[in-house]
Amino acid sequence: MNSKHEKLIGQVKKEVKKVMEESVTRNFIHEESGSVTSLCGAVEACLSQGLKRRALGLFKTSSTTALLHKIAKHCPEAAIISKKLQDIENLDPNRRSSSSSDSLTKPLFQKSQTVITPPSTLPQPKYLWIRLALFEKQLTKIIDFLVSNANKFYDKDALVTDPDYGSTLSSLLLGPCALDYSKTKTPDHFWTDPPANELVQRDRISSAQSTPPPVRRPILNIGRSLNTSSEETGTVRNSSQYFAKDYVASLHQNSRATLLYGKNNVKVFPANSDITVPMLGYLSLHQTPIGLIIKWTPNQLMNGFAEEVQDKSIYWEFALHVKLDEIVYVHCHQDQDAGGIIILVGQDGVQRPPIHFPKGDHMLAFLSCIETGLLPRGRLDPPLWTQRSGAQRKRRRPLTTLSEHEESNRDYVFRIIDNSLDKEILKVKRNELLDPNASLPEKIRTQLGSTSTTSSDSSTKSFSIDQNVPDSPPSVCIQTVCDSMRRQIISRAFYGWLAYCRHLSTVRRHLSGLVNSKIISSEGAEEGITLEKWKELCTDGVVSNHNEVYRLCYFGGIAQELRPELWPYLLGHHKFGSTKEQRHELDEETRQAYENTMSEWLAVEAIVRQRDKEVQAHAIAKLSSESMSGEAVPAPQLQRDLSNDVFEDISDDDYESNDEHDPAGKRTSRLKKTERNTIKYESDEDLEEKVDEGHEKDQTKFELDASERSVVDESEKKLEAEYNEKNAKKNARGTGTNSEIPAVDAHNGCNHDELKDFIHNVIVTNPSVDISNFSCEPDSPTRERDRLESVTEETTRNSSLDTCIETHGLASPARSACVSPASSNGGVYSQELLENFGLNLHRIEKDVQRCDRNYWYFSSNNLENLDKLRNVMCTYVWEHLDVGYVQGMCDLVAPLLVTFNDESLTYACFCHLMERMVENFPCGNAMDSHFANMRSLIQILDAEMYEMMHAQGDYTHFYFCYRWFLLDFKRELLYPDVYAFWETIWAAQQVASSHFVLFLALALLETYRDIILSNGMDFTDIIKFFNEMAERHDSRGVLKMARDFVLHLQVLIENK
Amino acid sequence: MAKSYDYLFKLLLIGDSGVGKTCVLFRFSEDAYNTTFISTIGIDFKIRTIELDGKKIKLQIWDTAGQERFRTITTAYYRGAMGIMLVYDITNEKSFENIKNWIRNIEENASADVEKMLLGNKCELEEKRQVSKERGEQLAVEYGIKFIETSAKASIRVEEAFYTLARDIKAKMEKKLEASNPPKGGHQLRASEPQRKPTNWLSRCTIL
Repeated sequence: MNSKHEKLIGQVKKEVKKVMEESVTRNFIHEESGSVTSLCGAVEACLSQGLKRRALGLFKTSSTTALLHKIAKHCPEAAIISKKLQDIENLDPNRRSSSSSDSLTKPLFQKSQTVITPPSTLPQPKYLWIRLALFEKQLTKIIDFLVSNANKFYDKDALVTDPDYGSTLSSLLLGPCALDYSKTKTPDHFWTDPPANELVQRDRISSAQSTPPPVRRPILNIGRSLNTSSEETGTVRNSSQYFAKDYVASLHQNSRATLLYGKNNVKVFPANSDITVPMLGYLSLHQTPIGLIIKWTPNQLMNGFAEEVQDKSIYWEFALHVKLDEIVYVHCHQDQDAGGIIILVGQDGVQRPPIHFPKGDHMLAFLSCIETGLLPRGRLDPPLWTQRSGAQRKRRRPLTTLSEHEESNRDYVFRIIDNSLDKEILKVKRNELLDPNASLPEKIRTQLGSTSTTSSDSSTKSFSIDQNVPDSPPSVCIQTVCDSMRRQIISRAFYGWLAYCRHLSTVRRHLSGLVNSKIISSEGAEEGITLEKWKELCTDGVVSNHNEVYRLCYFGGIAQELRPELWPYLLGHHKFGSTKEQRHELDEETRQAYENTMSEWLAVEAIVRQRDKEVQAHAIAKLSSESMSGEAVPAPQLQRDLSNDVFEDISDDDYESNDEHDPAGKRTSRLKKTERNTIKYESDEDLEEKVDEGHEKDQTKFELDASERSVVDESEKKLEAEYNEKNAKKNARGTGTNSEIPAVDAHNGCNHDELKDFIHNVIVTNPSVDISNFSCEPDSPTRERDRLESVTEETTRNSSLDTCIETHGLASPARSACVSPASSNGGVYSQELLENFGLNLHRIEKDVQRCDRNYWYFSSNNLENLDKLRNVMCTYVWEHLDVGYVQGMCDLVAPLLVTFNDESLTYACFCHLMERMVENFPCGNAMDSHFANMRSLIQILDAEMYEMMHAQGDYTHFYFCYRWFLLDFKRELLYPDVYAFWETIWAAQQVASSHFVLFLALALLETYRDIILSNGMDFTDIIKFFNEMAERHDSRGVLKMARDFVLHLQVLIENK
Repeated sequence: MAKSYDYLFKLLLIGDSGVGKTCVLFRFSEDAYNTTFISTIGIDFKIRTIELDGKKIKLQIWDTAGQERFRTITTAYYRGAMGIMLVYDITNEKSFENIKNWIRNIEENASADVEKMLLGNKCELEEKRQVSKERGEQLAVEYGIKFIETSAKASIRVEEAFYTLARDIKAKMEKKLEASNPPKGGHQLRASEPQRKPTNWLSRCTIL
């Protein structure tokens, strides 16, 4: 019965806490807030438990509302509420008077997915009278009245009748009754679930510190502590605080221990101290997996102690912690004036400090709690309660001796008897005494086996201590007893060790692949790579000590200024030990390759774009013809929307004025638009032009006629020229001379202007930094436009673009979609390739347009950066058409681009980055193994969390981590934090773990473990929580915790 | 969490990437519009409680990534969904054509009686329209589902869309409930005591 009361009260406590927290975090509570409803529900549950049905007279159901009306005669507060209730009910004739009876049919705690309430006709809030009483601040008084008159209305075993719980209930409600409740509807009103930041705030309220709590439960008792080296000082300072917080938390009801009894202001004479006055403290009795535990904590250590105590440390020495297993006798002394005293006497005969109970039946209550707690394994002898069969019902009465009203015997001694062990041990002892050579009986052995964590079969197998029993003379019985004790001790230790080993073997089997076996010290690396450090490391432009670079980066990160220089090393683009010249050369080569690739896909892009326009025109023509006449849609608007999905218009206005309204005019200007859009990328228009020309003029399907071929050839030649020139440049670089571009074209005999144009374009295109400069040149846009004008004319000469596209497709048997293009003549493309790349292009554009636009680098003032992003992305996809573009890739490019602000370097580094990351995308299979590893890690490192996840059942797919792994936490953090995370992940591969992301994920989860556990979050709650918490994490804390986890696991594995 | 609602409906938003699923959801849940949206990676959801016929209905609306590559993770959410919003962009023909594929997806992964609804979003961009309202209506009729043109940006009929879907789900559910236990004198079954999972600390392996 006690446990039921406790549960009910516990529920009320929880709800009161929530209401109070809500009032603090939101500054007001809405009357219809979910927490109010839950509180009322909890109170209702308490009040309806053990309610005498008969006392309510005519009412059919045992309704608390009926109770309210009943007591209204005697209790003025109840009368007020009763009156209000009737008023409300009179307003609504449909309502029955026993309004809260429906609450009985409703599950109080049930967590059902879909239907909470069966369809009923009452839209009125539940628990109406309790609500009213709460809002009118009368609830406490009404409950007080009920408690003091409990006998009339309640059964003997009801919660309200209970002297402790009854008054606890009313005092618990004092707080909520003091609050003001609001009826105003606010936007928040709809949000029944507290948002993530409110949850975090609440957690901070309930935990005294503002720092995220560490892993509460010690995971495994390993020889080395987690914080072996540098963090020592920091943690020592914090540990006592955490300890205190933990300790006080342990005094409450929690998942590990049940609180059986708690009483404040119990006096104890502390042992081993010169304090002569008994100290006041909180006495509690806990049921834990290892048995009953009595705790007494000085008031000074408890939360909310009024006086500020300077140094709490001395009080820790006074705190009592007694395992009842060790206690044999309980001495009780009674004194009418001073209450009762209990002295616990242990197996060793040592007395524990006496516990003074204040007046009242507290000592009796405590003893009866002990007695129930001991059941079924143990009991008090003699029993505290005697059965009296004389009465109608069997009633249990305490021993007369303990009742304070009796005058006679005031002292009593109880013996604590362990039923289960008792007989066996006695039997064993008898055997032992009779036959000292007998081995330990099987029973004991299995019993011991079960106390440890192993299963008994293996323990018997490996347990061989029995054989070593020394031959002692049969006469020395005490010797035998000692031996058996020693064996027990050894075997316990052995099983503990065995279990530990098994656990470790699990760890090793599942997780050893996750961390590097070599532990690298973090000594002196907290600063990371600073400018000074870098000067030391990088002598004459050569970095030789790469291990130190990795180590420093892993433990301390990189100074912001050094990132552009260092990241290429970390990503593997630059090699350690390379000279400045070598790197420069590499960069040049990269640039060259990048430019070539870009010119390839830019050609394809132009075709794709034209096709798009055509398709769009069709769609719009279709729409306008089917809905109304074409003239109804004004042409200028059409112009604008045509360009919408491409890129920003450069200058809309001057074109609109030229627009004609006939269909032909539309087409012309539309095509103008097409070309103009590509200006933005400053692509090699010549090439495009030639390609287009080639295809448009080509009317024969399979063969290019000679003249067209010559055009293509021409462009080929130009590209060759371009190559030659670049090569020459490269060669020249070695000797330090810089050959001029126009010098080359003489050799090739091409049109000088065209080539110059072309080269100019290419050069301008690729280092995009220059784009803006180029665009600013006053003459170049006009020149481009002139050129485009001619292109447009050319294209309009063709009757249909469809045929042109067809031609593209059919004329290109050579081109395959998956093979990375080797040549850049850009003549022919398969239909398949065009479609594939076109699709990717559209996706990329959609995502580039919405990539971190709130970040300054990609804001509307820096649109050219979006183009860079797009170029890098397209180049990657062009080279990896088999993978294609997958959403999220843009997110991975963006931080690199922001750091380097250089397209080709970004591209090269991104390729290196993707070597690892591509597996996370849907085409790879790393995600599943990440989830599986997360599971194992949580199981090993946070058993409590694991258990909860198991209980929720839904956790099998860790989808809340999906985005974390896919993007290396890029979406979870702000840019500077993303940098720090990324470089740590990269360096970790060399220093600690190539699966560092797992540990980061675990650390992120653990940072909020208290919130997750205390709110009993399920899978959906967690997804929502983390999505709301994005970019608000304490990245330093998470990083540090992740490194600690790695170290922890390394130590676990090392300690074989 | 407190149960201050009568029903919990799980809804799902699907459609091509960039059609404005997240914006529609954002408009509905916070009544706001943000021009700088980011693509949805993985999955997200928002909650809004609405009132229908005096019943509080909590809508848990899941927002998915549009790219079909993410289908493996998005389809996991089809199963629990009671209503699905199919969203296309009226200025994008392709997204409309793909609705067929999304419907096929639903048929393969969602429960058979899931409520569906077709949304043509971005209807404020009339001048860029590529898909006429008639075609949308026609497609909806073809599949026997409701159709609304909405605009998250201009806040046009977004509320209406969600309320309609919620009402349809509610009607369907209440019909089912009635069918399963016919109303007799308004007697309701007493709900069973909440089952507490036994805490099995004793049986669990722990090293202390």
